Amino acid sequence: MNIEILCRPAASSALVKLNQGEELTAEVGAMIAMSPNLRVETTSRHRGAKGGIMKGIKRIFSGENFFLNHFTAAADDQELYIGPALMGDICTHNLRSETLIIQGSSWLASGTGIEVDTTFQGFGAALFSGESVFWVKCSGQGVVILNSFGAIYEIDVDGEYIVDTGHIVAFEDTLNFNISKAGSSWVSSFLGGEGLVCRFKGQGKLYCQTHNPPSFGQSLTPKLRPRQA
Amino acid sequence: MDTEYNFNIELRPDYSLLRVKLREGQKIFAEPSAMATMDTCIKLKAGFKGGVMSTLKRGLGGESLIINTFTADQEGEVTFAPGPMGDLNHYAVNGTNLLLQSGAFVAHGEGLEVTGKFDGVKGFFSGQGIFLLQASGTGDIFFNTYGAMIEIDVNDGFIVDTGYVVAFESTLDYQITTVPGLSIGSKVKTFLFGGEGLVCKFNGQGKVWIQTRTINPFLRWVHPYRRVQNSSH
Amino acid sequence: MNVDIRYQPAFATIFASLLPGESIIAEAGAMASMSPQLEMKARFNGGFFTAILRKIFGGETLFVNEFSCPRETNPGELVLTQSSPGDIAEIDLQGNTLLLTSGSFIACTPGVKLGLGFAGFASWLGKEGLFRLSVSGHGKVWIGGYGGVLKQNIQNELVVDTGHLLAYEPTISLSISLSGGIFSSFFSGEGFVSRIRGQGDIYLQSRSLDGLTSWTNKYL
Repeated sequence: MNIEILCRPAASSALVKLNQGEELTAEVGAMIAMSPNLRVETTSRHRGAKGGIMKGIKRIFSGENFFLNHFTAAADDQELYIGPALMGDICTHNLRSETLIIQGSSWLASGTGIEVDTTFQGFGAALFSGESVFWVKCSGQGVVILNSFGAIYEIDVDGEYIVDTGHIVAFEDTLNFNISKAGSSWVSSFLGGEGLVCRFKGQGKLYCQTHNPPSFGQSLTPKLRPRQA
Repeated sequence: MDTEYNFNIELRPDYSLLRVKLREGQKIFAEPSAMATMDTCIKLKAGFKGGVMSTLKRGLGGESLIINTFTADQEGEVTFAPGPMGDLNHYAVNGTNLLLQSGAFVAHGEGLEVTGKFDGVKGFFSGQGIFLLQASGTGDIFFNTYGAMIEIDVNDGFIVDTGYVVAFESTLDYQITTVPGLSIGSKVKTFLFGGEGLVCKFNGQGKVWIQTRTINPFLRWVHPYRRVQNSSH
Repeated sequence: MNVDIRYQPAFATIFASLLPGESIIAEAGAMASMSPQLEMKARFNGGFFTAILRKIFGGETLFVNEFSCPRETNPGELVLTQSSPGDIAEIDLQGNTLLLTSGSFIACTPGVKLGLGFAGFASWLGKEGLFRLSVSGHGKVWIGGYGGVLKQNIQNELVVDTGHLLAYEPTISLSISLSGGIFSSFFSGEGFVSRIRGQGDIYLQSRSLDGLTSWTNKYL
């Protein structure tokens, strides 16, 4: 399986080239285009190392169940173009022995050697920028494909680093994290519009996104056609 | 009639802007609200292009019935910007017609006839499909994408989710259908990206332009940010 | 201070490196991530009354944040962004003034003065706001909007669709007019447009939030 990321960073698409028998699991609806010899199955089971069930996880904003498309190539040189819902970037992370904690809407696809655990509760019921976010824990061997709103930038944390909660894409679980206020006083934090931030401590990789979906959405509110309750 | 247009597409591929330098008397026809800037010697007229009957025929294609005509009283410049972020492309129609999703139309020059049609799957998804425009004649047409644009040279076969089809040459055979296994089916209500489970199967030889984002997921994401209207009674 | 604007123009983002003693002022909510030793303090956007006026009439935020690197620590990294995707332009002010449309201010160096200029009723009708944020003094200003940024020098007149104007020099005046005849103006989807007159530089953005929401509202 070969993955190439096109059109970075604005409207990235992952071009996955599969040979006979190779497989990829992606979020339902991620498929943009594909060669005719790819078999597709929709399931709520991820065929990872332990085959975790993703049911019970609701997609943000829709409250719908999280379903998956499982693609298998029935011939060689099959091409599959996938992309996420919002404008932004895509990057791949090759997992070997580490565990990656991923913000739910940032998980796009992964190979079958990856176990996807949707029960991670590390942040409790914390609201990020006013939205409730779910988290996915990936471990095993293979590739994980991540997406973001905005461009993705990597920080190799060695010590401490602060990220506004709406800007977290994924991080290695070797990092300790805690949610706190941004400024030196609560008043300062909220007035300054930053609210809550996440302080990461230790050593590990952190993926951040340059833009924050709720911030953009709120800027559109005055101009959008209102809806019925 | 010299229908050559002096144009430049700037700020590709993320926020593409079409800049056209019109000669005195030259016209260009554009999608409503696409104009970003124009010299004061360019005059705008909104109208039903081709008259009312032709408009009603086009209206069944689902795109806007109004077309804006920009005429240069003197040589001047006009720029066009689509709504969403993304790319913009030019295609010279000459022999091979171009079919495009109605939402992707930005502008076209003189010499082209642009008509609409609806292609869908009747019954299965209760009349869902895509609205296509067909550009025929000899002239220039400009279309935009939501997201990045990928040009595919189809030789054998290629399947594209209908939400991501932007434009394709009429030399291709196409069929709107569903791919078994791609969607859940009508038993379980789900939200899908793209064309809600519909795909466009291409065969033959020709070019297809696809976009890497589509409107439906954006609509679903934006939904909670809309103010709630208080019902009045 | 070292400022690097990355991911242009799609998702332009400011990556700043502050040396001990340096600071940068940014609009509320602009911080994406930063080194832990940097301090963040909220202050009024140009002084108490100016801030209130700017909020009510200009659509700006009431507060701005001042990020500074304390003297006793190492240099710190700061990532600043804007709410919408788009490009960022860096402008060097050397005693001159620039007028900004609502929401286009992202950050500036401490020597820049944030003030309020009356934009005129024409601007208010054109949905560009009654007041205009003005930036003057010496230093750098970073502005951005939805879309790519184009700098254009105006000698006579230009018609600009509302929502596409980002900033302009005070030598430029704005007036509102219909985009075409009465029927055309409204059916064309263009409505009122801004007529720019004068001599000077203007900054345009190649998308507008109005354009995005008109496209979206068609489907809602």
